[in-house]
Amino acid sequence: MREKPLQILLVEDNAGDARLLREMFSKEKPGSFELTHLLRMSEAVIHLAKGGVDIILLDMGLPDGHGLDTVRRAHAAAPGVPIIVLTGLDDEALAAEAMKEGAQDYLIKGQIENRALPRALRHAIERHRMQTETDLIRTDQMRFKDEFLSHVSHELRSPLTAIYQFVTILLDKLAGELNREQHEYLEIVLRNVKQLQSMINDLLEVTRVQAGKLMIEPQCTSVSDAIVYTVNTLQGAAAAKGISLSSNLEGCLPLVCADPTRVRQILIILVDNAVKFTPANGAVKVQVRILDEEPNLLVVEVSDSGCGISSDMTERIFERLYQVTDQGLAGRRGLGLGLYICKELVTRQGGQIWVTSLPQKGSVFSFTLPIFSLAHLISTLLKNEEWPAKSVALVTVEIRSPDGWLSKEAREEWSRETRSLLERCVLPDLDVVLPKMESGGPGELFQLVAFADEKGVRVLTKRIREQFERLNHSKQSGLTLSTSHRLLEAFPTRGNTPMNDLATEMAARIEDLIKSESLERTVHE
Amino acid sequence: MNNKKILIVDDDPDVRQGINIRLRANHYDTFFAADALSSVVEARKHEPDLIILDLGLPGGDGFVVMERFKLIPSLAVIPIIVVSARDVRTNQERALKAGAKAFLQKPVDNAELLAVIRQALGETEPSETVR
Repeated sequence: MREKPLQILLVEDNAGDARLLREMFSKEKPGSFELTHLLRMSEAVIHLAKGGVDIILLDMGLPDGHGLDTVRRAHAAAPGVPIIVLTGLDDEALAAEAMKEGAQDYLIKGQIENRALPRALRHAIERHRMQTETDLIRTDQMRFKDEFLSHVSHELRSPLTAIYQFVTILLDKLAGELNREQHEYLEIVLRNVKQLQSMINDLLEVTRVQAGKLMIEPQCTSVSDAIVYTVNTLQGAAAAKGISLSSNLEGCLPLVCADPTRVRQILIILVDNAVKFTPANGAVKVQVRILDEEPNLLVVEVSDSGCGISSDMTERIFERLYQVTDQGLAGRRGLGLGLYICKELVTRQGGQIWVTSLPQKGSVFSFTLPIFSLAHLISTLLKNEEWPAKSVALVTVEIRSPDGWLSKEAREEWSRETRSLLERCVLPDLDVVLPKMESGGPGELFQLVAFADEKGVRVLTKRIREQFERLNHSKQSGLTLSTSHRLLEAFPTRGNTPMNDLATEMAARIEDLIKSESLERTVHE
Repeated sequence: MNNKKILIVDDDPDVRQGINIRLRANHYDTFFAADALSSVVEARKHEPDLIILDLGLPGGDGFVVMERFKLIPSLAVIPIIVVSARDVRTNQERALKAGAKAFLQKPVDNAELLAVIRQALGETEPSETVR
């Protein structure tokens, strides 16, 4: 057994329950346990931040917590500390859910025996330790693989650089004239150098996908822009093969909620593939439409007049390392990673990707992206039977540097950090962090919609500020964070009004608020 | 017109030679260094107008070299372009923060390299079309 007393944090607002537990502990050997008792989740989060807690005994019915969210918050505040949930007899199902959120065990109030309690605690700690150990080993192995791949691709790039340099030196006739045949052969070398280069890049990207390091930052963005960019970028390659590459972007397309860099990346892979597998004089087309059966999704289609894919392959081509082995197809085709990367990128942004194809006629690769709709975002919060709160708040969070303006690099870094901080702070069933709406301006701006009253907003902004200070301190960046909010009150009672209508009405009012806020800022600066 | 002088710092002799031929064809005078220490020595000797710097070098990597250049007033003002095989996402920001004018990933497209060099040298008119 350990020498130091076991540090137990009990978070329980019911005085009777707390007293019972205290008594149980008092019967243990003196010096083997030390119990800290707190009444509120907010206090517990602060206490956990100081460290030193060995195990948490957590009541799931705290006044400032919401069932499972209590567990999530405790787990987020101290990911390395095992949690035992305390629950009533009728809540066993909820307790089982809590274990999925990271709790080690649960105890049913009123059924805890004196002797069983210390044993349950020790078991939970031991189980947690073993799990952490397994996780550590796995993380280590993954890190080794990542480092290995990153090292290999780095080492491959150096000789590739020399090959590229000297092939282009010859091609540019810096070492003398070439005959037509020599020129042609060197062009073949160059083409293969470029293929090798893109394979190395894919290799690195897959490492990121698997390490969970693929950064995706959703914002309100235009798919049309990404398509125009892609078509322009690959026009040369298409023309060289005598393929017509075009896009059809009719009418006014809604904005989507996605990461613009990632959307470009997906399109480049798909269009590049289409050009590769389409014979001379063929055609590649990119178009966009709204799905009839699912009006919240935009579909982007890349169609080609290439060799097509047989129907039993249409699922498998999105698998990692899968390559179509068809003699009719020309030569090598890369590592078989492009479509796998596409699928990861699309799925991570809430979309789907699929292909329909007729052999010898061509293929259509389609992927969906969620259309940005405030009403849709809000309606996900309205699943509750009751109105979650009488008022809704639009909270604006802004980050600035001491001299006012944020540099591009700081903007990118802090935009990511702050967004994940906000996601941690909000209650998933009551609040939603909005995607980035506008850029420019001196600071980085975030907005979130919270079903809360004045008091609730105060709690939320306090939490955001505390977390930010901690992050700021650890990074020694000296940035400042300011928050402001506006309340929308007097919403109609739910009654028989259909949910969608309510969400639409609410979204319209919130949109007005966002617009007037943005206008005010412009006037201000 | 006097040719501008460029110091090429790279430990790979083939890459050095490749850049050298390309730059000479575009009327730059070139000098070389293959490690961190000789990069400082060569820079003092030739007082180049620009430095092309690899990151993976024997005797201290490119970041160390940039730090050292900063401490020597006559060298601190020379624009540096980092040309490296290392991953752009993890090294670009760091290189720019350390004072580099640009980060280019190997293999660098010839036209891009020359454009970035001209920009860093403040050559408004290109000395010659890309060759």
